[in-house]
Amino acid sequence: MVRWMWRWSVCRVAVSRGHMPFCSTQQEPHNANPSHTGQVTHRPGNQLTLCSLLEMGFSETQAKEMHECATNSRGKHVPSVLTALLLLGLNPSSILKIMQKCPEVYSLKGADLQQRVDHLRKMGLVEGSLQRMISHYPKVMLLPIKRVNMVSRLLREKCLFTIHQVTEILRDSPEVLEEDLAELEYKFQYAYFRMGVRQPEMVKAKLFRMSLSELRCRHCFLERRGLYQTPDKKGQTLIVNPPLKDVLCVSEEAYLAQVAMATAEEFHVFRKLMAKEQEEEGREDEYSSDEDEELGEDKDDEDDDDGVHRRKRHWKTGYKKDRK
Amino acid sequence: MAAYVCTRSFINKFKDSIRFIPRRYRVKTKWAATRPKFPATELALHNFDTSYGIQLRDLWPSIRVAMLCEQKYGALINSFSSVPNAIKDLEAQGCKDFISIDCSRNEVHQPSQDYTTSHRDSTELEPASLQPSISPDIKCLVFPQGDISRFKPARPDSSGILGYYLLDAASVLPVLALDVQPGHTVLDLCAAPGGKTLALLQTHSVNYLWVNDLSGSRTMRLHRTLQSYLPKEFLDESKIHITSTDGRHLGITEEKSFDRVLVDVPCTTDRHSAMVEENNIFKRSRTKERQKLPLLQTQLLLAGIQATRRGGYVVYSTCSLSQLQNECVVQQAISLAQQELGITVQVQDLRWFAERFSDTFHFAPQLNVGELVLPHLCANFGPIYMCKLHRMN
Repeated sequence: MVRWMWRWSVCRVAVSRGHMPFCSTQQEPHNANPSHTGQVTHRPGNQLTLCSLLEMGFSETQAKEMHECATNSRGKHVPSVLTALLLLGLNPSSILKIMQKCPEVYSLKGADLQQRVDHLRKMGLVEGSLQRMISHYPKVMLLPIKRVNMVSRLLREKCLFTIHQVTEILRDSPEVLEEDLAELEYKFQYAYFRMGVRQPEMVKAKLFRMSLSELRCRHCFLERRGLYQTPDKKGQTLIVNPPLKDVLCVSEEAYLAQVAMATAEEFHVFRKLMAKEQEEEGREDEYSSDEDEELGEDKDDEDDDDGVHRRKRHWKTGYKKDRK
Repeated sequence: MAAYVCTRSFINKFKDSIRFIPRRYRVKTKWAATRPKFPATELALHNFDTSYGIQLRDLWPSIRVAMLCEQKYGALINSFSSVPNAIKDLEAQGCKDFISIDCSRNEVHQPSQDYTTSHRDSTELEPASLQPSISPDIKCLVFPQGDISRFKPARPDSSGILGYYLLDAASVLPVLALDVQPGHTVLDLCAAPGGKTLALLQTHSVNYLWVNDLSGSRTMRLHRTLQSYLPKEFLDESKIHITSTDGRHLGITEEKSFDRVLVDVPCTTDRHSAMVEENNIFKRSRTKERQKLPLLQTQLLLAGIQATRRGGYVVYSTCSLSQLQNECVVQQAISLAQQELGITVQVQDLRWFAERFSDTFHFAPQLNVGELVLPHLCANFGPIYMCKLHRMN
């Protein structure tokens, strides 16, 4: 049933694209462009042949490489996978790059791949963004739909991003789909509570592209230099905080020169010190996991910060004016 | 809201003893039910941002971040200990004695190191060639610039004497500047907890050392420190006299008695105040005390000057960046000494001294009076201010 549907969708596209070759499983040239039908090698099973690769548009060298990798991967449905990729509108060189970046794709089932791609489309990734995302981050194709949904739900329900914002996040930072959910939430909470940044700014600054340790490093460096303050309850600070995108979206050199105004040596030593602090904090947390609960007691009557779930932690800050 | 008394106070006590707690977390949680709403550390930082932002301008952010990070220690070698290979072991970890390194570095440039000014036969007529040598007996090992390794606690030798004392390496500088010569009598006016006192004793030049601190408990601690670091025969009353009185009185009772006087006054201990909440001098209940500090410091320095013999030297030091506690106190003390006591005191230029140690420490450029070691992430020592005074009459 699935195969029939697949063949049907393949055909539709074939008609519109005009040159779509088929993999060898097709028994009949169904609505295909007549000029191509004769050359399709018919082979039982889903096995990839050099000929079919050439027909798909790969050059000889490309085809050879793909064929070798495909055989090595022992993927059983490579032709359908490739077809799905072609359906997306990716040209052969892009596909080759994807396979080089992420050879696990060979081992997928074409149907699964198609489902996942469709799901991403449903999440709002339009043509253009979708292809770009897959080209830059082919691993996304390996992720089950359930996983994508879990991440999306976390971003919407716990972090209160709009659906539109979630789409943007997925487009700009697809690696977010692979991140551990607790760490993802922590990263958000760090930016929200500790840095006082709100959702639109987070999306604009591509917050989720950066690792938590690097985020913390760049932020704490500024904070301890006196160049960044956690806003108080009213969102006020004594100084003007640099916009998040100026902090995160620039190279380290630019960040040091323009925002932190410090030398690279200072920053490197600081990074080492932060790593040590985090390591020791981690060890402390092992012993005192109940401590945070008690500290949280007196914070219960505080309004729940725009409904965002507040993790009961106490961060050492330079200026956290925690008024009750 | 009732305090949430819980058993974790016991757990905390137990935890304290088995691992290192970063100082920024040292709040007496066993008594406090909540964390303070306006922590004194924040008040301190706010105070610093206001005053030092103006005073130090572009340098302040780098100093601020350094003070809020783990400080760097030096290991003051205890020459009274017979721990074998103490120095070699530390050197194997990558440390170096900054005193001998910085001094030998300069000796390469100066062929002669004489007190007398007549020796000018060297082609390099820098003032450096006229500088006094620095006591080579004090050894203090530090890790290289940018290296954030920690020292392990010192081990005792066969008689229970510890091999080295961990302290801020910049604390050794006032003692080096004091330049104790063999046979001298020395007064340490505000000695506790005793790091500088130990450094003084390492010179092996002190004939008689008077150690004083106002606080009884801190004097006890100092006494215990000395017991851990000195063999019993050196703790003789005739060699080391420990008192616990107001240092200001010693100026009158011990007038003109000492060759060298070290006045390491109580101050706002900037680094400590920015990180540690417990008993912080910036907490509101201590505001008056804090505001009266410059006056107290001036009085202590005056007492120190009075206690110095004619021709002797006084070194004034603090661990604060504040001009009010540093240069202003020195200048006020000098003018008061002249006007009220008729004592002429001359400031000694320590620029050569700062130059010599500029590889290890970051010094503030061009102070009016004295030298100031600034905390910097690559050399996270200080803040230490020092000024050397010469009593002329």
